[in-house]
Amino acid sequence: MAKNSGISPVAQMRVTKRHLWSSDRFQRIAFILPTSIFLLCLTLFPFIYSVYLSLHFVKMTNLSKKIYAGLENYIDLFNDSLFTTGIKNTASLAVTTLTVEVLLGFLIARILFELSSKRGINFLRSAYLVPIMITPIVVGVAANYIFTPQLGIANYLLGSVGIEPIGFLGIAIPARLTVLAINVWQWTPFMALLILAGLTSIRQDIVEAAKVDGAKWYHIMFWIEIPSILPIILLGMTLRLIEILRFFDIIYITTRGGPGDNTMVMTLYTYQQGFRYFHVGLSSASAVVILFVSITVTTVAVNLLRRAENNA
Amino acid sequence: MRDSKIKMFILYGLAGAITAISVLPILWVVFGAFKSDIGMMTLPPVAPDFADWSLIIEFVAKYYPFIFNSLFVTIGSTIFCLILAMPMAFGLVNFKLRGENFIADWILSTRMMPPIAAAIPLFIIFNGLGMVNSRASLLIAYTGFNLPFAIWVLMTFIRKVPKELIEAARAEGATWFQTLLYIVVPVSLSGIATTATFVFIFAWNEFLLALFLTGQETRTLPVVISSFVGTGRIYWSNIAIATLIQSIPPIIFAFVMQRHIVSGMTMGAVKD
Repeated sequence: MAKNSGISPVAQMRVTKRHLWSSDRFQRIAFILPTSIFLLCLTLFPFIYSVYLSLHFVKMTNLSKKIYAGLENYIDLFNDSLFTTGIKNTASLAVTTLTVEVLLGFLIARILFELSSKRGINFLRSAYLVPIMITPIVVGVAANYIFTPQLGIANYLLGSVGIEPIGFLGIAIPARLTVLAINVWQWTPFMALLILAGLTSIRQDIVEAAKVDGAKWYHIMFWIEIPSILPIILLGMTLRLIEILRFFDIIYITTRGGPGDNTMVMTLYTYQQGFRYFHVGLSSASAVVILFVSITVTTVAVNLLRRAENNA
Repeated sequence: MRDSKIKMFILYGLAGAITAISVLPILWVVFGAFKSDIGMMTLPPVAPDFADWSLIIEFVAKYYPFIFNSLFVTIGSTIFCLILAMPMAFGLVNFKLRGENFIADWILSTRMMPPIAAAIPLFIIFNGLGMVNSRASLLIAYTGFNLPFAIWVLMTFIRKVPKELIEAARAEGATWFQTLLYIVVPVSLSGIATTATFVFIFAWNEFLLALFLTGQETRTLPVVISSFVGTGRIYWSNIAIATLIQSIPPIIFAFVMQRHIVSGMTMGAVKD
């Protein structure tokens, strides 16, 4: 806007004011800053506060009294067999569930790939997405209902083929397998559809050329398909790892870590220490360990992923 | 010819079986909404009576405040999340900022953070502000936790907006704000819808934060469902009806969004 010299002081002010409002610099700041501050307050600050709390003795019932504890909470934490069991269970859950999901996911992706342009397959694919989208708590209560010892449909179906009823969620090994099965049920679709997207992006002329040269199906699988979907599998595994480290809802609603400590995971331990036993310091230490593990795991996984993508 | 027909038959059978396994467990509980408490526990199973809505109506009449809580927190946080994420995503794509990559990486890393790690501090902070047991605390927390994902996914959509469009608008004298509102938003509407859907589902499905940030009155539906699974008598009919209501948005979105779900979930993961 052109300034002319005969303008009144008030109008002049209005002009400079509008100038400030529409100035490039001001707008840029207005775009970035509020969201950044909000994010800082809600994500970074709580994590730093967690670290601070983990170095103090604090009771939930008397939050104002904080006594410096050094690394005492961490020492207590790693001396608590419930916590170390939680780490072990989380790790074994990660390994088993990822293995099963990738293998099963590949198999299912192959089936869907063969049918990809056929009729009705879109509907089947949509239905197959339901486990991914459904609320974890709903998955948990569904599991409770289906696996109820005497009156559940699972034992009824087993009984109809002559198998003795199983205490699915009440006995050590079955409970762990049931938790694994719930995870696999919920997340194999994700892995399968991800792998399916990878399979679809493979150029079919290469596959045809290989067939002409006499390649068998397993040659194609090991030399063409698997190498080209490897980055996608790694991506899926990374996302699943993040999810497993957060795994809480279903355990909370089904086994609560039981029987004994057989399905105890790190998140549940953290929750119970904080909100059931009110050991804020110990709970925070446990939270910091989870945080540390997630940062390490995801950094390694993301680096692997970027390298795999650059090679592909 | 015959051979491939048999092959197709087997493949369809397998695909159908996989789909059935994916959907039936949920339907099995949801059908319970049309049975009585006793009916749900009867073996061999009794058929649900889809004409009988009396228990569902009774449930909604009693528990509608909690359905409202869930909707309020979910819709509210989705709107706030988009309002905060849109300018940030636009800025990160279009401004030449100092430390741009650093900010992007920071957002990505916060997306990886497990919420449990922030649980106790959030509780203490909201407690200090006298906001525990309010809907606002959950609304703020959900907005914050979904922001990194929303920003990240919106960035990939905004990158697809032709640079010439933005440059032309700027050359015509449009402010950044006008460029965002009148050029970028209309062009990337489908991307915004996809992002909104995900943020909505994340908030709708969330349980951990809701568990300790809500009180008796402000509980969301997942917390209500978990409270039905207490010790002692389990009210299966209530669980089934709550499950039915809780499952409506996810199932609708699974069918409406089908092609975008897996790609959307991976979009927020790494740099492309």
